[in-house]
Amino acid sequence: MRAALEKYRQAFLVGLQSNIVYRWNFAVRGFFSLFHLAVVFTLWGAAFAGSASIGGFDLRQTLTYFVTLLVLQFLISAFNEDYQISEEIRNGLINQFLLKPINYFLYRFSIFVAARLVTGTLILLPLAVALPFIHDSLVFPAEGWRYAAALPALLMSAVIQFSIAYCFGMLTFWFLEIQGFVILSMAVEAVLGGQMFPLDLMPEPVFRIAQYLPFYYQMYFPAAIITGRLGAEQVLPGLAIQACWVVALLVVNQVLWARGLRRHTAVGG
Amino acid sequence: MLHYLKVWLASARYSITRTMMFRGDFLVWSLVEFFWMGVNVLMVTVIYRHTESIAGWNRNEMLLLLGTSMLIQRMLMGFFWSGIFEMGRNVRSGNFDFFLAQPGNVMFMATTRKVDPDGLVNCVVAAALVAYSATELGLHPGPGTIALYGFMLLCGLVIHYSILVLSVSAVFWLTSAQGVEGGYFTLAEFSRLPREAFRGVTSVLFVWLLPVVVVSNAPARVLLRGFDPLWAAWLAALAVLWFALAVLVFHRGLRRYASASS
Repeated sequence: MRAALEKYRQAFLVGLQSNIVYRWNFAVRGFFSLFHLAVVFTLWGAAFAGSASIGGFDLRQTLTYFVTLLVLQFLISAFNEDYQISEEIRNGLINQFLLKPINYFLYRFSIFVAARLVTGTLILLPLAVALPFIHDSLVFPAEGWRYAAALPALLMSAVIQFSIAYCFGMLTFWFLEIQGFVILSMAVEAVLGGQMFPLDLMPEPVFRIAQYLPFYYQMYFPAAIITGRLGAEQVLPGLAIQACWVVALLVVNQVLWARGLRRHTAVGG
Repeated sequence: MLHYLKVWLASARYSITRTMMFRGDFLVWSLVEFFWMGVNVLMVTVIYRHTESIAGWNRNEMLLLLGTSMLIQRMLMGFFWSGIFEMGRNVRSGNFDFFLAQPGNVMFMATTRKVDPDGLVNCVVAAALVAYSATELGLHPGPGTIALYGFMLLCGLVIHYSILVLSVSAVFWLTSAQGVEGGYFTLAEFSRLPREAFRGVTSVLFVWLLPVVVVSNAPARVLLRGFDPLWAAWLAALAVLWFALAVLVFHRGLRRYASASS
C-alpha cells in the first residue's frame, strides 16, 4: 500500500515541478481572469440598476457567486488534462504505462492534483490585488455548515471535472482529433455548469433537469453551497446525486480505458 | 501587394481543399462555434427574463450588439485564428523557422496561412442574428448605412487581429502563450457590453485605453442611431494605431526568436 502511494507521490511531485515551470503562464492567465471579473461586474451591475433583486438575490450575492466561481475554476477545474491525455495516446507515450505496475488514471489524477495546487495558489495573487476593489461587493453567508458541506462537494467536483476530461482524452482511441468535442462540451458546461449565469435564473423545469446532470456538480453545486444559493434541504440530496455521478464517471473511465486499449496499437520501442 | 494576394489565395485554396477532405471535422467545428454563439444568446435571454434593460439597452438592441461582436469574432476565426494560434506553438517548438524561410513578410505569412471555413460559415449565423434583431427593432438601414457598418466591421476585424497578434507575440518572451491566448477571449467579452454600462475606472480602461468596447459598439450604433462621425473616426484611428503596435511588438519579439527552444 505504502509503495503504491509512493509511486503516485512521485508523479505528484513531477507534476508540481512541471507546472511550476509555467508559473508565469498561469499567473498571466490568473490576471486575465480579473478582466473576466470586470465584465461580470459591469454586466450584472448594469442589469441590477433597474431592479434590486434578480432571481431572489441582490447584486452583492450575485457578484460573490461569480468571484467564488473564478476561484473554484483555478482550484478544481480541468484545464488541459484532456489534451495532455490525448497527446500521450496519439504519440504512443502511454505504451510505457502498459508495461509498468502503474494505474494510468491515478498517475494522471496525481498530476492533476499537483497542477491545481499550483494554479489554485497562483490565483490568490491576482485576487489579492483585486480584493481592495471588490471587497465591498462580497457577502458570504455566516452559516458554518455551508463550509463543512462545501468540502466534500468540492472534492467530488474535482473528481468529476477530471473524470470528464479523462473521458474526452480516452476518445483519442477512436478519434484522431478530440479538440472539437472538448470545446463543444465546454459550451454545454459553461451553461449547465453555471459559468455564464447562476443556474437558478433559468426557468424552473430546466433548472430541475440540470440538477440531475453531471455539469451541475462540476462547479455550480459547490459554488451555490458556499454563496448561499442553495438551501440546507437541497444540499444532502445534491451530495448524494453528486456521489452517484462520481461513481458512474469512474466506471465509464475504466470501461473506456479497457475498450480503448483493445484498439490501441503500440509500434516501435 | 498583388504578390501577397496571390499567396493568400493559394493558402485559402489549400485550406478549403483540406477542409473538404475532413468533412466530419468541419461539421464538428461549425457546431462548436454555433454552440458558443448559442450560449451567448442564451445568456442575454436569461438575463432579460429578469430585467427590462441593461444600461438603457433593451433585449433586441443587446442582441444586435452581440451579433455585431460575434460577426467580427467569426471573421477573425475564419481568416486568422488558426494561423495565429499555431504561431504560439511553432515559436515554442522551433517550427517557426518554416515561416522565416518563406518569400514574404513573416507576420503576414505566419498569420494568414490558414483559412477556417467553419468560422466563415458561422458569420452567416451572426449576420442572421443582426438581421433578426434589426427587424425586431423595426430598423430599415439604407445602402450607405450598411456600407458604413461593413467598413466599421473591417476596422473591428483589424483591431481584433492586432490584439490577438499582440497577445500571442508574448510567446517570444514567455515560451508558452497558452494563457495569453485565453486572455484575448476574455478581452473580447467586453465587446458584448454596451458602452453605457461602463463607469469610472472601467470606462477609462476598457472604453478609452483598450479598444474592446468601441470595436462592436461603433458599428452597432450606426444601425441603431445612425452615422456619428466621431465614433467612425475614433474606430478608424484605433484600427491604424493598434495594427502599428502589433507590427512593432511582433518584430521586436521576432528578434528574440532563437529557433528550437525545447
